[in-house]
Parts: sequence; structure tokens; C-alpha cells
Amino acid sequence: MTDERLTDVGVVDEKQLKLLMRDWRRGRADRNLWQALSDGYVMVFSIVVIGAMLVSSILQAQETAAVCDTDGCVAARGLLPWASVAGVLAFTLVVSRLFGPVAASAAEGFWLMDGPTDRRRILAGRLFGAIGAAGALGAAAGALIAALTGSGPVEIGIWALAGGLGAAGLIAFAAAEQGLDRHWIVTGVQWLIGAAAIGTMVLLVSGAAGWMDLGRLTLLAVELALIIAGVGLLLVVAAGFLAYRRLRNIKRQRLTSGGSLISGLQGAAFALEFALIRDILVEAKARQRGHVRPTRGLGHGTTALVMRDVQRLWRQPLPLVTLVATIVVPYAVQALGLAMLNPPISALVLLAALVPFMNSLRVLTRTKGLQRCFPFDPGQLRTAAMIVPAVLALLWTVGAFPAFLGVAGGVTTDPVSAASAALVTGVAGLLGAVRWVSAKPADYSGPIVSTGVGAMPPGLMFSLLRGIDMVALITLPIVFNWPAWISLIIALIAFSLLRSGIDRDSLMDQQAEQKRMLEEERARRSGAPAAGKQKIQVQRKR
Amino acid sequence: MAGVAKKDVVLQVDNLKKAYGPVTIVENFSMRVHAGEAVALTGRNGAGKSTVLRCLVGADRPDEGTVTVNGTKVTETNPEIRRAVATVIDDLDFFPDLSVVEHLDLLARAHGLHEPDALVDEVLEEVQLVPQAGQLPSTLSSGQRRRLALATAFVRPRQLLVLDEPEQRLDVEGVAWLGERLKAELDGGLAIVLASHEPALLQAIGARELRLEGAR
Repeated sequence: MTDERLTDVGVVDEKQLKLLMRDWRRGRADRNLWQALSDGYVMVFSIVVIGAMLVSSILQAQETAAVCDTDGCVAARGLLPWASVAGVLAFTLVVSRLFGPVAASAAEGFWLMDGPTDRRRILAGRLFGAIGAAGALGAAAGALIAALTGSGPVEIGIWALAGGLGAAGLIAFAAAEQGLDRHWIVTGVQWLIGAAAIGTMVLLVSGAAGWMDLGRLTLLAVELALIIAGVGLLLVVAAGFLAYRRLRNIKRQRLTSGGSLISGLQGAAFALEFALIRDILVEAKARQRGHVRPTRGLGHGTTALVMRDVQRLWRQPLPLVTLVATIVVPYAVQALGLAMLNPPISALVLLAALVPFMNSLRVLTRTKGLQRCFPFDPGQLRTAAMIVPAVLALLWTVGAFPAFLGVAGGVTTDPVSAASAALVTGVAGLLGAVRWVSAKPADYSGPIVSTGVGAMPPGLMFSLLRGIDMVALITLPIVFNWPAWISLIIALIAFSLLRSGIDRDSLMDQQAEQKRMLEEERARRSGAPAAGKQKIQVQRKR
Repeated sequence: MAGVAKKDVVLQVDNLKKAYGPVTIVENFSMRVHAGEAVALTGRNGAGKSTVLRCLVGADRPDEGTVTVNGTKVTETNPEIRRAVATVIDDLDFFPDLSVVEHLDLLARAHGLHEPDALVDEVLEEVQLVPQAGQLPSTLSSGQRRRLALATAFVRPRQLLVLDEPEQRLDVEGVAWLGERLKAELDGGLAIVLASHEPALLQAIGARELRLEGAR
């Protein structure tokens, strides 16, 4: 040590450091939470209204499901919560692996982790916060699913406990594994629970369709869900303790990569840019993978783009598995007796399942740089990038067709109506996914609207509905019992708009260009010079 | 690069004007670039070099004036223009799930090359990305990404090359290689327009220099 002033530095008090950071953050706030809520009264009011509508819809669906006593409804009431809660738990593990679950911001990583601090004291709050948040969200999901399947208050409480404690326990378990920098056990458990969710869903549909006798499975006592809650509680205590002990072992890079991801996602979330959120996740996954075995392309022209999408299916088969698994959804919805709502609900699920197949379309539409490298007009490019997802949507439609016939229980319909409903569902899912992937983000350079929560561009709120709007437009005629051709005509118009990629900016550009040409023509007719003198501004030969 | 004889006018710009609000970035800007000729836009930061280049490739629409390539008015979405103009400006994006070599293979095939392997390998070696052939773009360093961007321009047919500060993030060897490569492209009849702050590069390719004065 050359500088004597640095020889006596004392001992770091992590608690004081955290208090100091809190003071910096909160001390600079110019209003408290209540004032912020008062300012955003429109937003609060909207949330209350939308919340009330959601609760009302849930209660209505619950009443419909509760009075339905077909085999399908009984099987769904018995098994759907099991399948859904398993899905929630698998999703919890996916999220925890993605972010940590214990994470730190890049600034904390640089300023705090490098210093002589005790990481356990800094990170303990994060760990318990993550476990608590997972518990609350898991409980809400469990209760919602139970309510939607027509369960009573006691059952709803039991499923809330199972979902909440199960999710909290798995977060604690993942955190304990994070302390050992070990992934494979968490990944294995995640796949196991995910497979259980899909398997239960398939059982449900098979039973409801009468393809197999479920025996007493449909009467599986809901109290057994308390076992999930018990295991979850055990994990919260045991794995939580282990995770706390291992907090000092977590590598800084592992902590900050999760933190950077969260801050990136937060930024995109504030702008309601969900496609950007997915971009960030895809980039993070690509960084994690790092390297692939290159494959030689096939064909030339636009065929090369299509064949590259086909090759992507071999490279990343997981989205294909997910897509196949989602075929169960229309069967389950029909079995639940919600035949009228089957097209919009299943189309939304198909939308989500098709998005991972649209990486080409996403990259080619989000910036024009790469698009410009290809010798095609935007319509040709978009069409080429839609072909593989369209074929997959068609196959999905064929697979889902028997569901709309009612072979899995619920309402039965004639083949023509069923085929129309299946086709409309497939088309709506595809075009919804195309819109979700390729829609322009809100334009912050245009006029800004003053609202109760501050200034925002008019397109911002529509970002929330991106993709969903397309599904609603195309499937609502079916919901209202109008002829299917209305849906198909709407779909055709939507396709031509989505294919051309016409947006407000392009239209304004076209308008400006036409205006300019008109003015030039007028100037030419009146004898005035159409353009200025040709002049090179400054030129110097080397 | 076939189809254009040396001394044919490849790019013609007449009375280009571009303004952002009240600030005029460039006005009354005209130039012609012939096949086998390189034109360098120079000037201090903010002089409007990138703005002009963006107008040349159709990424920005000029407020006044016309830009034509081989006599065809430039619009960004025109396939004819896209076929003729290879561009490396700052807005290039990559597919997150395709490796370095797969990007080059896809571009070459999209431009109609039936067996692009040899060309792709050659370009990959030139830009010194052979060890990174299987890497995904997000794992590349900024210099490697720049080399990949340049490689995308060399792996496809082209009559006009538009480069915005191509020397950026390249090491000394990289700049030297780029100079040699661009010289060879010029000898083959390519027209080049570039913005650059690197005198050595401009000297290596014997570029005609247009100095921009900046915003008013």
C-alpha cells in the first residue's frame, strides 16, 4: 500500500451500506406512493374497473362450469387444477433459472460485490423477497384456476395453498442450487413437473373423450393437493435455510447477469413492449448457448429463407413439442362446456405457441438493416418468413378439428361448423402471432397525449392488445354465431395488411412523396424551375 | 458486379436536402459516382455524413432532391435497389439463432447463389472469423460483429457499396485488410461511397473526398 490514507479503512457494515443505498434511492424521490397513486387516479380507476370485469367473468365462467355435469366437465373439474398447478410450478422453475433466482444489478455487482462485503448480508433480503413473491403469485394462480373450474371456497383455498407454497418451495430449492452453481437438478425437476402437467392434461382429454376410463382419478380428493403444499413448506424451510447458507458462494457474474436481464426487461415492460421483452430473453438464451453446429443452407432466393426456418425446427425442437402439447387446449375447453369461447381461447394459446417459430419475421421487421440485405420487397420477405409458421398452424388446425366436433366431450357440432371453427381458430392464432411479432412499437416522436399518469404516445396502450386484437377481430363473428365466411374475409384483409407491413409511418411517407410530386408537377406547368441548380457543396480531390 | 462497365454512372445524387425540424443537415448536395470509383464523405462529427449515406440507401427519405442507382430512383423497398446496393451502416441486425457462417450462407443463397460454400469460406477467412464460424452473433465482440457486417456485403453480388465508418472497431491489421479489399473491389468495377475518419484507408483506395460542413 503506497497511500497511507488507505491503510486504516475499518470494517464494512453491510446493513449501513444498504441503508445508505435506500436513502439515496428514496431520498431523491419527489413524491410518496400515495401521491403517485393520487396523480395516477385514472390508471387506478381503470385497474379497479378492469379487475371488477375480470372477477365478474371468472364468476360467470365458474357458474357455467359448476352446473355442467357431462363426463368432460367432471373430468375437467377434477383434473384441470392438478394439470394447471403443475404448469405453474414448472413455469416458476423456468423463471427462477432465467433470473437466478437471486439477482443483483450491474451497479451492485461493480460497487458492492467487489468490495470486502459479506454477500449473504446483502443478498438475504433478495432471497426472502423472491420466495415471498413466488408464494403470493403461485397462490393467486392456484386460486384463479380452482375458481375457473367451478370449485367451492374450501377447494379454492387448498389450491391457493398448493400453488403458493409449491412455488415458494421451488424458488428456495432453485436458490439453494444456485449457491452450488449447479443447474442439472433444477432443470430435471422442471422437466419432470412440466411432463406431469402435460400428462395430466392428456389424461383429462382422453377421459373426457371416453377414450379411456379414468376410474377414480376424476374423483381425486382435492385434499391430496395439501401434499403439494406440505412438500412446498418443507422446501421453503429446508432449502431456504440451505440457500441462505450458500448465498456467499454465488458468483458475481451469475448474480449480475440475472440483474441485467431484469433491468432490460423492466425498461421494455414500462414501454409495454412485450416483443422486445422476448427479444431480450432470446438474446440471453443465445448468449448462454453461445455456439451451434453450423448447417449448410438449402435452396436459393426466398426458398433459402423458408428452408432455414425448417432447419431451425431441427435445431430447436422444444417449441415444436410445446405446439403439439397446446393441441390439448381446444379439447379441454370444449370438454369444459365452453364451446362458444373455444375459438378465441384456443387461438390465443396458438398465438403464444407460434411466436417462437417467428424469429426470422421478428428480426426482419424490427429493424430495416438486415431486411435491406435481402433482394426482395418487404411483402415477399414477410411471406417467406410466414410459411413455416403457417404450415405448423395448419397442422395444428387439423389436429384440433376433432375437438370442435366435440369428440372429447362437451358440446357436439356438425363437421362443417367444426371445420369452420377450427380453421378460423388456426388462422386467428397465426395472424395474431404475426401481428404480435411484427407490429411497430409506440411512436415517441409523434404527438403525445396527456393522461392521468403522465404524457404518453397514443399507440402505447394498443401495445398491450397487439396480437389479441387480431384474434378478437377474426374469432368474434364465430362467438356471435355469425357465418364463418365473415371471419375468413376479415382474416384475408388482415393478412394482406400484415403481409404488406403498411403502417402509419409508411402511409405518411407515401403521402408526403405524392404531395412533393404534385408540387413539382405544378411548378413544371407554371414554368418555374422544378429543382434547384446542380451544385456540389464542397469537393476536393485527394 | 457484372453488368456495369467502368465509368458508367452508378450513383447519381441531385440537390439532396435533409433537415430535422429547423436544423438543415445537408442542402443542395449533388454527386455522381462511377463504376470503379470511390467517394469518401468526410467532415467533423455531426457534419451529416451518416445522414447522406442513409438517404443514399433509402433508409431516410430526403426532403428534397433525388437519388438514383443505375438510373432507378432509390426507394428502400425496391428489390432492384436492394440487389445492387450492399450497405454496412449502423442499423444492421443479426438473427440471434443463426451462426456467423449461416448468416453468410443465407445471404448468398437469398441472392441466388446456388453453391455458395467456396465464396462463404473465402470471405469468412478474409474477415478472420473462421474460428467463430459456429458462434451466435450475441457472443461476438464488437470488432467481430463489425467484421461480420462487412462480410455480409462481400458475400453477395453488388454494384455499389455504401459503408459508414467501416474502420470503426477494427484493429490496425483489419483496417489494412479493408483497404486492400476495397481496392480490389474498385479494380473489379465496384462503386464505393463511404464515410470515414481514417486517412490511411482513404489513401489506400484513392478515394475522391467530399467534405461536408454540417448542420445550419
